[in-house]
Amino acid sequence: MSNSPILEIVGLHKSYDGNQVLRGIDLRVRAGQLVCVIGPSGSGKSTMLRCCNRLEQPSAGQIVVDGTDIMHARTDLNQVRQKIGMVFQQFNLYPHLTVLGNVMLALKKVQRHPQAEALVRARRALQQVGMLDKVDAYPGQLSGGQQQRVGIARGIALEPKVMLFDEPTSALDPELVGSVLQVMRELREAGMTMLVVTHEMAFARAAADRVVFMDGGVIVEEGAPEQIFGAPQQARTRAFVSRYAAQH
Amino acid sequence: MQQFLFTFFNAEIAARYWPEILRGMGVTVLLSLAVIVAGLLLGLLLAVLRATGQRVLGLAVVAFADIMRSLPPLILIIVLFFAFPYIDLSMSSFTATWLALSLVLAAYAEESIWAGILALPPGQREAARSTGLSWSQTMAWVVLPQALRMAVPPLTNRVISITKNTALGSVVALSEILNTAQAASSNAGNPTPLMLGAAAYLLIFIPVVLLARWLETRWRWKR
Repeated sequence: MSNSPILEIVGLHKSYDGNQVLRGIDLRVRAGQLVCVIGPSGSGKSTMLRCCNRLEQPSAGQIVVDGTDIMHARTDLNQVRQKIGMVFQQFNLYPHLTVLGNVMLALKKVQRHPQAEALVRARRALQQVGMLDKVDAYPGQLSGGQQQRVGIARGIALEPKVMLFDEPTSALDPELVGSVLQVMRELREAGMTMLVVTHEMAFARAAADRVVFMDGGVIVEEGAPEQIFGAPQQARTRAFVSRYAAQH
Repeated sequence: MQQFLFTFFNAEIAARYWPEILRGMGVTVLLSLAVIVAGLLLGLLLAVLRATGQRVLGLAVVAFADIMRSLPPLILIIVLFFAFPYIDLSMSSFTATWLALSLVLAAYAEESIWAGILALPPGQREAARSTGLSWSQTMAWVVLPQALRMAVPPLTNRVISITKNTALGSVVALSEILNTAQAASSNAGNPTPLMLGAAAYLLIFIPVVLLARWLETRWRWKR
């Protein structure tokens, strides 16, 4: 069971106005795995991630989440999106709602839990990210790191099958990055399946089960972190990884 | 000084005419409330229709808003009251004034709310949709609450200026404050009723202005 893919991407293409951003992506994420996607800016990492819940409309290809083909015309997108949590670079918390309101909105409106049940689930999610003491705060009163942890809680509260992270720490001050990465590590230990687009190479190296290197709209290389960072097979991967190593 | 008081603040005349002015005040208040409710609701509806992204709908809304904002409300009132009977659409002076002002307010309200919707970062919608909220749920719970808050300051100004336009109803013989005051002034040969009218407007609109101020502070959220 733990070997079955939760997320399967086959032959994913995406182009904007004739400009090919993704040129055939094949990727499988198995249950409980943390897969990190690295690569230079403009390599299509985020676009690929946003195709996984169809925030971007793929041009071609198949995406299967927990057995559901999300490209199928009869798939209820709002139904399947509950299985796919997403965390954004800019947090995208709702500024007019409290922390609790942010986490409870979809619990009440999408999953139709009664108030009491939604509250229990929201608090459980907020506890997991260590934000239980801020339930009544508004997003504007929180630091970036705290906001991002609430963003994670908003996703996991729906008990998704997979969580997508789109550069979750890129908008954070350096001293706040650690707390968010720590929450992500704990999530992984709790068994969450995660696909993470990131520039945090140290995190990818230490925490990922598998690392995917993308460039020019294709997956150049994927493998264990030791392979990608220690003994990359492809010249482009080597160049990217060594450039990173030189900078840090 | 004596002469000034006698002419503009004549107690005897004020005592004689204030019940009429009070009745006019009732009409003005009723008309204003009806205009505010209808205008804001229609404006909200138009902004939501425009937000659906349907081309034809959007163009229709834009055309409506641009025409209504360009026409002087007075002309709209006159057309509705004097011209529509020729196409078998007679209406009372109250209805004509109400309809004209509501349409104008709706046009401005649509523009303000639309601006609020546009100002929202697309990430707000994406976050909502990513949790499975439908388009209309996203609109109702994430987009509009924020767009409306941004629209409050321009809207309160517009509401105040449009409701003061209820005075335009006097041209179609609507017995609101201004009309009653003018008639009373002519009858009395003394402008004191006009001063009463001015007082009546202050009595109505100072609380409205204060309410608007309160709304503008109350509806800001902590950033």
